[in-house]
Amino acid sequence: MLRKILLSTIAICCLYGCIKDAPLNPEADIETFTIDRSQLTSDVFIDQVNRKVMLYLKPDAFDKGVAPVLTLSAGASVTPASGDSIFFDNGNVPEYTVTSASGENKKTYLVEVVAIGEWKWAFEKWEINDKDKYQYLVENDGNLVWSSGNPGVALSGVPKNPEGYPLRATTDKYEGTYAAELLTMPGTALSNLVGIKLFAGSLFLGNFDSQSAFLEPLKATQFGQPYQGRPRSFTGWYKYAPGASYQDKAGNIIPGMHDSCAIYAVLYSGTTRLDATNIHTSDRIIATAKLPDGSGRGNFTRFDIPFTFLPGKIPRGDMMMAIVASSSKDGDTYRGAIGSRLVLDSLEITQ
Amino acid sequence: MSTRNISMNLSGASFRGMRHTCHIRYVITLFFLSAAFTSQAQTHKLEHRIIAGLNIGGTAPVGLPNTIRKIESYRPEFCPVLGYELSYRHTPKWGAALAVKMDYKGMYTKDEVIYFPTMITVNDGANKGEFEGTFSGKNETTVRNAYVTFPLSAVYTPNNKWRFNLGGYAAWLFSSNFYGNVSDGYIRNGGPLGEKVIIDEATFDFGNEIRRFDAGLQGSAERRVGKHLSILGALNWGLRPVFPDDFKGMDFPMYNIYLTLGVSYRI
Repeated sequence: MLRKILLSTIAICCLYGCIKDAPLNPEADIETFTIDRSQLTSDVFIDQVNRKVMLYLKPDAFDKGVAPVLTLSAGASVTPASGDSIFFDNGNVPEYTVTSASGENKKTYLVEVVAIGEWKWAFEKWEINDKDKYQYLVENDGNLVWSSGNPGVALSGVPKNPEGYPLRATTDKYEGTYAAELLTMPGTALSNLVGIKLFAGSLFLGNFDSQSAFLEPLKATQFGQPYQGRPRSFTGWYKYAPGASYQDKAGNIIPGMHDSCAIYAVLYSGTTRLDATNIHTSDRIIATAKLPDGSGRGNFTRFDIPFTFLPGKIPRGDMMMAIVASSSKDGDTYRGAIGSRLVLDSLEITQ
Repeated sequence: MSTRNISMNLSGASFRGMRHTCHIRYVITLFFLSAAFTSQAQTHKLEHRIIAGLNIGGTAPVGLPNTIRKIESYRPEFCPVLGYELSYRHTPKWGAALAVKMDYKGMYTKDEVIYFPTMITVNDGANKGEFEGTFSGKNETTVRNAYVTFPLSAVYTPNNKWRFNLGGYAAWLFSSNFYGNVSDGYIRNGGPLGEKVIIDEATFDFGNEIRRFDAGLQGSAERRVGKHLSILGALNWGLRPVFPDDFKGMDFPMYNIYLTLGVSYRI
């Protein structure tokens, strides 16, 4: 009989012991995309959400083409091959198609050359993300230069429609058809698991790096786009209604505390983006223009903030300009008032 | 985060407490019924036993899916079994038995998974949100579920030393734990082609999703070692997945498969 017991035990152990062969890798990422630094005005960004490789090229590189070196998900293959030259003449948008090791999955990345012609935005052109249904801003030529926390919020199980996200288009505009609406929203049961009880609406020049969204959320927001020249002032129109109750990171209401918005521009040197951990403190900062008072404004209110240059800093060489707006100025530490609403329209950096 | 966990556990505990009382009432009723039955029937054909033991096993898929790459560690949780069995000997060798048991079933595992599909549904008041993706990384799971189990079996007693039971069981859950964490890995939003999001550590708790009712097959063997005392080994094999069909946290069914080692004492 003991034998029978033993056999049963072995049967159970078998359930744990029998590890099957590993599945073939179904992933098809471009993991890195490397171009000679001398050809770039800013680091390459691979937008894994929208499947775009964003290049910030010097004019010479744009004219002659580049020969990027790629690394891929383990075992995947790509066409055109890593090291082949790609060209951008006649409006050509190169594409890379990655096939997973398992063969069943293909992913196509578009290569976009991003350049900001005019540092002036009316926030008229919005698109909707296919999978998660949040809105995002595009330039008239289709380029992506603005980003937000929406791709991060999408990971927290919010309802999949534009109204479920803290940044969206609104017809409550200053001019044109649309303006950008930033709303501070409550976290979800899922975001609570990683300690997030509030999502501030955000809009910024730069990219959102989803990979860091949970691990180091402040590093996920990569601020800035390549900039040349000497900025004079940062102008625009906004209105702001703070939410009723300000809460701390744990979700406790703090009586007597009022929410305020943040709107600022930062010019800094280099080609690597600053993020929410160092946008106010980096020694690469050359000049800043910050809205001094983020309290409520019932009607569209104009701001015109001259850039303040830090002592001894001169705008030259490779530079980046960040514009950042948030419906709760402490939203980066998940503090603010749910319901705070900031509407932005007609931003401009003048020279 | 810690405050949230504490409050969740507290509310879970009081809820479990309520269910617990309810089931104890069943057990007591059954005990009295059996006692009444005993006084009316021919006593020598009826036997009463107290069963005590420990459950060792797993709440596990039958055959590991290929997304599980490595079991780094496994240990049984402390899972006592305590029960009462009433049996009726129809002939000297054949009979039938009905028992009622408090049955804890649990385990801890630490494993490594790759491209593991999961879907988490979130209800926030009126809103229903979902996160679906594939996870690659480490996983730790602790299971500790308590059931009131009613095994019904045919009994074969070939001789004075051995006694065998074979039959089925029905079990009602009165306390459930199924929680753990994932770490050192990444999740892909939507599936293998979605964007990668690195996960340092995140917790999960599917305790409230466990089905209230379980049923399966069970068989046992007893070897008499004293006048009243026998040692006992039993295999309990759940045939009903522990999670409902619409639960997508794991994309494979898991079953309660446990071995009981213990003693029985004939009263």
